[in-house]
Amino acid sequence: MIETIYVEEAIKNHPRTKFILKKFKKSRIILINKYGEIFNKRNQNFRIQKANPNLILAHKKNGFVLPAPDGFGIGSSKNFYFSHMYNCIYDCRYCFLQGMYSSANYVIFVNFEDFDIALKKIIENNKNSKLTFFSGYDCDSLALENVTGFAKHILSFFKTHHQIEIEFRTKSIQKEPFILMKPMNNVILAYSLIPELMANSLDNKTPSISKRIRVISELASRGWKIGLRFDPLIHGKNWKELYQELLENLYNTISLDEIHSVSFGPLRFPKRMFKDIFKLYPNEPLFTSSLSANNKIISYDVEIEEEMTSFCKDISLKYIKEDLIFKCSI
Amino acid sequence: MSNFKIKKTSIRLVVALKEEAQIILDQFKLKAVNEKTIYPIYKNEEETHWLIISGIGRSNAAASTAYLYSYSKASKYTSWINIGIAGSNKGNYGELYLVDKISTFQDKKGTYPSTMPKTTLPKMHLFTSDIPIVDYSDHELIDMEGSAFFDIASKLTSKEFICLMKVISDGPQNDIKDITKSKISNLIKKNLLKIIDVISYYETLSEEELQIAEKPKLFFEIKSKWHFSATQSYKLETLLRRVELFCNKKDIKEKIKPCRTSNSVINVLNSKIKKNLVNWSEF
Repeated sequence: MIETIYVEEAIKNHPRTKFILKKFKKSRIILINKYGEIFNKRNQNFRIQKANPNLILAHKKNGFVLPAPDGFGIGSSKNFYFSHMYNCIYDCRYCFLQGMYSSANYVIFVNFEDFDIALKKIIENNKNSKLTFFSGYDCDSLALENVTGFAKHILSFFKTHHQIEIEFRTKSIQKEPFILMKPMNNVILAYSLIPELMANSLDNKTPSISKRIRVISELASRGWKIGLRFDPLIHGKNWKELYQELLENLYNTISLDEIHSVSFGPLRFPKRMFKDIFKLYPNEPLFTSSLSANNKIISYDVEIEEEMTSFCKDISLKYIKEDLIFKCSI
Repeated sequence: MSNFKIKKTSIRLVVALKEEAQIILDQFKLKAVNEKTIYPIYKNEEETHWLIISGIGRSNAAASTAYLYSYSKASKYTSWINIGIAGSNKGNYGELYLVDKISTFQDKKGTYPSTMPKTTLPKMHLFTSDIPIVDYSDHELIDMEGSAFFDIASKLTSKEFICLMKVISDGPQNDIKDITKSKISNLIKKNLLKIIDVISYYETLSEEELQIAEKPKLFFEIKSKWHFSATQSYKLETLLRRVELFCNKKDIKEKIKPCRTSNSVINVLNSKIKKNLVNWSEF
């Protein structure tokens, strides 16, 4: 339940604003000038806000599509990302979004068409490169699809640009709009996964791993390309058994022909961000792990990271080809 | 051992008039402090709840909020509450409203206080004026202190710890000139249960945050035995928070007992963390 929705005055009559507001008939609407008046101001308590986040509807002015950080891609020569939303409805304890903004409120930008224009420009400027776009860097790309309809909108753009890849990264079990459409070869539905036992403690407010696997299996069986993202890899007691069970369960459940890529990424926090997140959640079991500082990054020791990656990779190689496996290193 | 002590909760109330405050003073057993103060200040025996009578107007509201902060040694996790009467032509006479937007003549675009979640109490926008207003048509709620209280309180704590609530005392049908001291007291009294409910939410919020911010159990004990620099103290606190989650106090004390320096204490705690394998089935 969203109690308050702040709406930028300039977009109060935008059709998408009206479409979204219709879904929250009981919410109190407050008009504002700029989303910055509410979002990311100093003196906000992220943890308290996260318990009851409000929604902000805004107009994005710039920075629609940005280059993805190095190490984020899955084989393309150029990677870009875009976010129609800031913040996530989920509350995963390893997520960088906890330390990213001082506000836990959700911002949805309603001017989707400006994303199309920015995408077109980048595609035109990079005609000779293999491009991949990532949706859902500052948010979960599908978790609020039933409210925003962003995926449905952006899919129509990529339908006419079938040589360009788009990855939706998510933990949601949102099947629409994909269930209603013919699969598109340039679309990757990428699911972030950790073993169920770990998810019970770390992936707050998310659908369970077993529910996610059911949806992955269903969409794969309909021909959608699937990305499996084991990012971050979480260490702990019996990690080998837990990851083996997860990986084997996945590979035995979903159609292997539809696996586009599998990536493994280490748990990493920039030092400053770790400090902020630790302050928010000092009693979090994740932080009792053997995490230490290395070059301004808090992570497991390199030996642990490498052991985990190669263990998971070895299991995966029993099911899929090596060229589908990537190491994510941001 | 240090005499460091965290109080259970921390509430500060800023109220313009004694008539608005009286029923709250009685309810929370707040007594005047035993010394001469710039503004009248009241507190309970446990010193968890404090109230200041600010007087009318923005300057008084700002000054008294800052004064109470300093005088009562409020913390970052103290909740700040402004209670008072307000004019309105929109709401119902005698009803209590929470404030979720504040504007002034000077700042028309406004500021946006948080309100307690999951409440059935109605919410309105507040306009804070420097002079009494009798033309109620342009605003939902009108008072003479709210914006200044919020401006100062939001420098002292996060906005989630700040609350403004107003009882409608005048409007087109209830002339501002007819407001009497006893009418003001009755208006607040009529809403006392709702006011207590709101204060209770902020008590819990403050208490929970104070608990999270509380130093680890062994922190002061260890600091009293070895000398820690400021940087080392921060390291010690962070490490203890992490270690205390999987290791009991007795074990930690045993492990660090042979340490000769603060550095070796930190090293012992670090190695405990290094060896820890989180058992995810326990969480």
